[in-house]
Amino acid sequence: MKRWATRLWIVSMATVFLLGLSAPAPADTLQEILQRGELRVAVQTQGPPFSFVDKNGVRTGSSVEFCKLMAQEMGVKVTFLDYDWDGLIPALLSKKADLLAADMTATLKRALKVSFTDPFYYTGAVVFAKKGSTFKSIEDCNKENVTIAVLLGSTGEVEAKRFFPKAKIKSYKGGGPLLINAVLAGHADIGVNDETAVVGQMQEFPPNSIEILPIRLSKQPLAFAVRPEDTHLLQWINLFFQWIREDGRYDENINYWVKSLDWKKDH
Amino acid sequence: MLEAFNFRVLLDYMPLFGKGLWATVWLSALSLFGALLVGILACGARLSRLGFLSAAAAAYIEAIRSTPLLAQLYFLYFGLPSLGVRLPEHHTGILALSLNSGAYMAEILRAGVLSVSWGQIEAGIAFGLTYLQRMRYIVLPQALGITIPPLLGQAIVLVKDSALLSLISVFELTRAGQILTSERFMPAEGFFTTALLYLMIYYALKTLSSWWQKKLIFVHPA
Repeated sequence: MKRWATRLWIVSMATVFLLGLSAPAPADTLQEILQRGELRVAVQTQGPPFSFVDKNGVRTGSSVEFCKLMAQEMGVKVTFLDYDWDGLIPALLSKKADLLAADMTATLKRALKVSFTDPFYYTGAVVFAKKGSTFKSIEDCNKENVTIAVLLGSTGEVEAKRFFPKAKIKSYKGGGPLLINAVLAGHADIGVNDETAVVGQMQEFPPNSIEILPIRLSKQPLAFAVRPEDTHLLQWINLFFQWIREDGRYDENINYWVKSLDWKKDH
Repeated sequence: MLEAFNFRVLLDYMPLFGKGLWATVWLSALSLFGALLVGILACGARLSRLGFLSAAAAAYIEAIRSTPLLAQLYFLYFGLPSLGVRLPEHHTGILALSLNSGAYMAEILRAGVLSVSWGQIEAGIAFGLTYLQRMRYIVLPQALGITIPPLLGQAIVLVKDSALLSLISVFELTRAGQILTSERFMPAEGFFTTALLYLMIYYALKTLSSWWQKKLIFVHPA
């Protein structure tokens, strides 16, 4: 074998070996969290209202506050690990985090890989454009000369491909505000993302720069996720949500963060 | 450990990786050409006796070397449109890589030119060679020979930096890995394949440069 081929072989095998190394799985992640004294949560800086860094540099938002409550009930501290949108599920599966808490839609395809909790909120994909655009209907958007900005691996990407098969799709990797930036810079005519995310992110841009079009593409359940084998943790989180729905802490959170712009005063 | 890898999925995604590999190759090739052009021009300007040319080149090189490529890329992509200039993704990418790598190449070339001893140039002057003849026959052959290894290094950095173009929605090799990750949630398979293909480009570049160094320039390969 030639020298370079040998080297290539050695490098490849070393990489495969390193990727193959992983610690043996503990019996119960919930027990591990309690022993460790730390709940590790994979989040994304998607922007308000679910998860963002506020003007004081503190990570907060609806999902983040739910997780803080969870950790409080478990009696452990909480650590947030920030990933890109398409890195969230791999981060959970590779055990970097115990729990995935984003405004993630519980799709059937994702549910083949992870276990979703019961949905905690319903939202839908909407279309947004520069204020005063001529886009009014699905037909206006489904044209060959229309460019649509979506997030790589998001449900918005799937919806955009389904509803606008003729249009050109640009997938961006990173946080949601990137889509609004792409539309404002003229790299895309319209963007597709979750309504809750777009409404939240719009608050960080000048008023009258972006508008949500009267086009609703879907209704989707948002849920947190754990690894498939972690049924104990999953049931605990479902019970947690039932309790806070009963004692009012759920409504308090959702009314403050998602159903109103009250959070803008403090964050 | 190998059993954990899902090779069936890799087979399904081979066309995607092929497309990504090809895009990375041509984007890098054009950027490399641009970077060499920018590098030669900036090096010439930097060495020029005209003060303003030299100062302008120095300012450009410092500006590029003191800021991250990602910031430069985002500036060109999201910043320039607010100044009225909007380039498509591929053009933005090639421009950013050329301008970025060009600055480093200018410094590499300058070091090569300055490494030719002054005595040889004096000898050239004594023989009555003109400035261009001295450049053509004495300075450049030696300077190029010396700079091939660092230029190769810079070329490899450029190829790897082209991964950043995936962030402005350009489809290339890294994006192919990202798509496998986001569609099937298989980062290990996706990025392992991506890494292996970058390794292939690296070996091709390395072979090309040592061939070039041996055949075209009369110096011993490093």
